[in-house]
Amino acid sequence: MRKILLIIKREYLTRVRTKGFIIGTIIVPLIGLGSVLLVVFLVGHTATQSLRIVIVDNSGSLAPAIVHGLNGKLADGQPQFAVEETVSRPASLDDLQQDLRTRINGEKLDAYLLIPQDLDQSFELHMRNPDNFSLVGPLSSAVDQAVISSRLDRRGVHLNDIQTVLKSTDLKLLKVSEAGESVEKGQGIAIAIALVVLLYTALLMYGIITMRSVIEEKTTRTMEVLISSVRPFELLAGKILGVAAVAFTQFAIWMTSTALLFSFGVLASLGMTRNSPLAGVHVPISLVIYACVFFVGGYFMYASMFAAIGSACSNEQDAQQLQWLAMAPLVFCMIIYGVILNDPASRTAVILSEIPFFAPVLMALRISLQMPPAWQIALSLILLVLTTVAVMYASAKIYRVGVLMYGKRPSLVELVRWLRYT
Amino acid sequence: MDAIVLENVTKSYDSVTAVNAVSLKVRSGAILGLLGPNGAGKTTTIRMIMNILVPDEGSIRVLGELVTHSTRDKIGYLPEERGLYPRMKVLEIIVFLAALHGLTQAEAGRRAKEWLDRLGLSEWSDKKLIDLSKGMQQKVQFITSVIHRPPVVILDEPFSGLDPVNAATIQEIMLDMRSQGSTIVLSTHRMEQVERLCDCICLIDKGRNVLDGELRAIKQSYGKNTLHIEFTGSDGFLNHPGIGQITRLITGVEAKLKPGTDPQEILKAAVLSDARITRFELLEPSLSEIFIDRTTRA
Repeated sequence: MRKILLIIKREYLTRVRTKGFIIGTIIVPLIGLGSVLLVVFLVGHTATQSLRIVIVDNSGSLAPAIVHGLNGKLADGQPQFAVEETVSRPASLDDLQQDLRTRINGEKLDAYLLIPQDLDQSFELHMRNPDNFSLVGPLSSAVDQAVISSRLDRRGVHLNDIQTVLKSTDLKLLKVSEAGESVEKGQGIAIAIALVVLLYTALLMYGIITMRSVIEEKTTRTMEVLISSVRPFELLAGKILGVAAVAFTQFAIWMTSTALLFSFGVLASLGMTRNSPLAGVHVPISLVIYACVFFVGGYFMYASMFAAIGSACSNEQDAQQLQWLAMAPLVFCMIIYGVILNDPASRTAVILSEIPFFAPVLMALRISLQMPPAWQIALSLILLVLTTVAVMYASAKIYRVGVLMYGKRPSLVELVRWLRYT
Repeated sequence: MDAIVLENVTKSYDSVTAVNAVSLKVRSGAILGLLGPNGAGKTTTIRMIMNILVPDEGSIRVLGELVTHSTRDKIGYLPEERGLYPRMKVLEIIVFLAALHGLTQAEAGRRAKEWLDRLGLSEWSDKKLIDLSKGMQQKVQFITSVIHRPPVVILDEPFSGLDPVNAATIQEIMLDMRSQGSTIVLSTHRMEQVERLCDCICLIDKGRNVLDGELRAIKQSYGKNTLHIEFTGSDGFLNHPGIGQITRLITGVEAKLKPGTDPQEILKAAVLSDARITRFELLEPSLSEIFIDRTTRA
């Protein structure tokens, strides 16, 4: 036990002290968070000015309706469009256009709208940057509204009446669960997908870290010295627990900093808490606990598989060819999880989530979508624990033989034979 | 008392028998030279003594106990395949391995500093191992194998890669440990070191113990059957029917006498020939000759 603790301590300290850990834990999330906040900030505070526009009305009647429709506001409360003047039926259209173009090139004007004499003809919008959809969109709909309104008027129908008749219904989505009903705005799916991605990434990442750590001891030939003072099983256990401690530290840092960010109102001040999709997100504490339990079980199973693979290989290149053995079930989870998302209670979903190699990801996913019956959760946990113990036992055997083997990468048949060595 | 006793130890990998019914006793307080050609089974034997590998048959005792995981803390081990965590600091790595052998952190730290001092590595104790030269790394590894003052030490090729000054330092430390009662197993290919250091030898070939015992006794049992002759002029007298194998040296030859040949007759023949004899000496065979003789026998 003392030796296992020593190994955990060394594994933990050497990993936590590396530049890679500091970069991965602190700097990368900071850059990620920073860029999200920057985008939020830029979108909210784009300091555009009102678009200075001249309306040239050849029909002589539509301009007021369009001006009325151009009522959009900028983020700072200024109107989106500033109508400089309205020219009704100009004497010489060519001269006027010449003049307007000069004003646009001189940056004294941003655009001019040309209303045709016959409203069924094309309208023309002349501006320096016609690709600016945030301006073209509102302008185009103001024109549409005005034209439709005028057509309806001619038939003696009022636009407001039509709008009332055509108003679409509002379909509210409600999630029914044992805890009662809650309004569903798609956050449930968002949480479920985030959970799948998080579990998949964490299992894969920490599994591969464990594998690399084993290979490093082999390639640097530290293994034989270690193995002469500790049992292979102690070394394996210490390594897996040491990496687990690193994972725990990493998550603790992330959780704490997220909590701090929220409580100090950094996000609130940027308008991210209200009116944003995140505002409705509520992660039930039971889901967090279940996800942790399944993650821990899954971690021990996958980390020992990765460690066994690492022990069988003499270098990273060999390991890259063998690591699919442990990666395949995880990748399969990523491919199949859409099926469970569609119908978390289907027979396929139940069976898949009971298979121990998929349970850490897929059962957690089902729990987040719709609480499965207690017996299904219990059964999958029991199967997961039993399989984890079996996998760790087998991995320890492969590990014991593998750590002293150098040279050719073993075939699958050889790996199976190693299981039978005493 | 014997520090290490192997009885009828056999170990096979799939189809190859790496160690075949080897029995061996290592006297307590002696330095044993474990010799043998490449692939003879030395490393497998050592790994079985370290309980890294378990023999298929036979038993191994260290200090009277059958080997288990707990006997390993009584053995210091310098493996042939050397290496330590390259990115750990010298002092940290020594303390870590010493703690794995049961020393407290404080005691491990104290002894580590003493050893680094003794081997002239004090100023490197805060450097990463990867920043050290090969020879320095090897000295660090040597420290990790003896820091817990084990009564039995196994050193697999301890001198490879060391310059003569460092090799001499390690030899001195080995003789020191011997005088304090440690038993040392030294596996090496360098015969002159074995002749200088070892009390007894064990020669392993193709997995079998072909020769073991006190070095002096073994040499005497071979008898004085080798002539060392230095001369100038014709070497025709070497065609004498009493002379067997001839090894040519820069200054002369080493000639093995056939059984029953009187060295005096060779001398007579040499004097009568037109060679000028400058040296004529009757010798015990060198360890190299014994090694070659034993390992090339059909």
